[in-house]
Amino acid sequence: MKSLIQRLVETTGPSGYENQVRDLVRKEIENDAAEIRVDAMGNLIARKGSPQPGGRRIMLSAHMDEIGIIATHVDANGFVRFTTVGGVRPNTCLGSRVRFLSGVQGLINGEKLDSNDKVHSFEQLFIDVGAASRADCPVKIGDVAAFDRPFLDLGNRLVAKAMDDRISVAVLIEVIHQLKSSPNDVYFVFSTQEEVGLRGATTAAYGVDPEIGFAVDVTLSGDTPKGIKMETSLGKGPAVKVRDSSLLADPRVVRWMIGTAEEEHIPYQIEILEAGGTDARAIQLTRMGVPSGCVSIPTRYIHSPSEMVDFRDVENAVRLIVALLSKPVNLE
Amino acid sequence: MNDIVPFLKQLLDASGLSGNEGPVQAIIAEKWKPLVDELAVSRVGSLHGLRRGTGAEPRRRILLAAHMDAIGLIVSGIVDGFLRFTQIGGVDPRILPGQMVVIGGREQIPGVIVQPPDSLLPPGSADRPVPMEHLLIDTGLEPEEVNRLVRPGDLVSFGQHPIELAGDTLAGHSLDDRASVAAVTACLLELQSRVHAWDVWAVATSQEETSFAGAQTSAFEIHPDLAVAIDVTFAKGPGYNDHGGFGLNKGPTIGFGPNIHPEAFKALKKAADEIEIPYEVEAIPRHSGTDAFAIQVAAEGIPSLLLGIPLRYMHTPVEEVGLKDINRTGRLLAEFISRLQPDFLNEISLEKLP
Repeated sequence: MKSLIQRLVETTGPSGYENQVRDLVRKEIENDAAEIRVDAMGNLIARKGSPQPGGRRIMLSAHMDEIGIIATHVDANGFVRFTTVGGVRPNTCLGSRVRFLSGVQGLINGEKLDSNDKVHSFEQLFIDVGAASRADCPVKIGDVAAFDRPFLDLGNRLVAKAMDDRISVAVLIEVIHQLKSSPNDVYFVFSTQEEVGLRGATTAAYGVDPEIGFAVDVTLSGDTPKGIKMETSLGKGPAVKVRDSSLLADPRVVRWMIGTAEEEHIPYQIEILEAGGTDARAIQLTRMGVPSGCVSIPTRYIHSPSEMVDFRDVENAVRLIVALLSKPVNLE
Repeated sequence: MNDIVPFLKQLLDASGLSGNEGPVQAIIAEKWKPLVDELAVSRVGSLHGLRRGTGAEPRRRILLAAHMDAIGLIVSGIVDGFLRFTQIGGVDPRILPGQMVVIGGREQIPGVIVQPPDSLLPPGSADRPVPMEHLLIDTGLEPEEVNRLVRPGDLVSFGQHPIELAGDTLAGHSLDDRASVAAVTACLLELQSRVHAWDVWAVATSQEETSFAGAQTSAFEIHPDLAVAIDVTFAKGPGYNDHGGFGLNKGPTIGFGPNIHPEAFKALKKAADEIEIPYEVEAIPRHSGTDAFAIQVAAEGIPSLLLGIPLRYMHTPVEEVGLKDINRTGRLLAEFISRLQPDFLNEISLEKLP
């Protein structure tokens, strides 16, 4: 599974430009899914399961897109100015490298500041792709790039850009591989444009019209020096979301997830996230409403070019989701 | 006149934070049962009550939306037997220290919100409201007991009972928006002795304080021809006596702005004028911050209206409303509904506007 994760995180796919990721996902699952389709927003939707009486139509969503940048201006000397796609922070940009969809690579640096105590604003940052002039610059206005950082395997801990949310894409692929049979009608959605407003999951959920839905996404962890006050830690299991700033998970879905984890002796944590949101919000608000929740992978340094997860949490997330889908669901 | 008050007090004492409206929903369902023809609960926890009209089928439908969810707190961690927490909905942290609360975990446990002394807070924190991340809940229990009875994710409701103040006013938590649930109930009571052509869908919505999930999905499910959201608005009060607020106990507000259907607005105002219910027009230039905003763009779009009940100290445990305004809102709704003719949508069509 680690090699799958590496291939996923090293693929470039900022919001709206997920096609390279989508091709990779499709190859991984085409022999295991009953049906695969791509909707107008670019979501890849794979169906699996043989619905039995008591089975439910369940939608899972993991987003394929990652945060990135888009070129807005190329100056006479070939320096590229840019704006952001999704929640990029300027303090993680300085010294970072980017890779455009075309494969062109470059680095981000900035104008000289008055004081070393200050952080560059995006307006003060630029990309240097090694060009000497505008004519020589292979980047044109509107070209899109993502951060460029090789996958790092530290044993239990894995580090990469775009762990948010390719780690969950890997989890869903692994679930599709491992799920032998399900009495439910399960729709695995590899969604687009989550980072710019849950755009893909909104239409995917409308199309699938699920009875139950959950997202699989990363969440923050509270286990770094003088970090945020949060109960989740790396290595203590996947987290069952109770609330974030966009969603109050349906209490029945929370009970279903916790009950299943306890029955199967899978470690889990409770997630109370102060800020942030996932595809689960879009699913919950679909049509006449969908009981929704989220299985989260605790992750350090989210939205930086080096996001860290614990591989045991990833494996336990797979176990938990396989267990959730393997039985008829009775929310209560 | 204020026979709705005991019911309202019962609502205020019921737990039912956003996303977990079960207890308050059950109380409303019991009250509405004899007043409507059908009752159901939506997939995301809104309560739907249908009172059929007398018009020929297919009848037009009006949806009344008042949210039953309340703001509150949620346990986010346990430190040496004390509870850390964060908010469900937008709680004003300035008023938290000293509040009585109830933790709804494996048992209902009372607690008080406490703040550490200034000397233990980060430098620069003295003499200003203490941020929520530094506040704690003390249950009085030993740490082992707390670990046994409470876990992160448990909900924390405000514990104060409502108090009737002089001058026909009531103070308490969760009047936003259970005052409006009471107003819709007053409307249903009034409709018992009236004839109305349209079907009336009374909806106590869920999750208004966080995502408007209840209103958006109920509007999609019921697919009404017209909707009225009822929510609290800012009353005049200390430091709020200029054009920004509305008189307490001086009548409801009728919202106007892009969220509001301009022709339906005229009809609602006319009804208020003709039965001499005092009101003020509330100009709302953008997001109304109410269920009306989600309802307006549900499905193919729904003509939406908004009634406001003026309220002081919003999102604190001592929200204050005028009881007369609740009854007036109920009466105005009933009057407006009983005036709706089968062809009302033609009257308010925007096609004929120049």
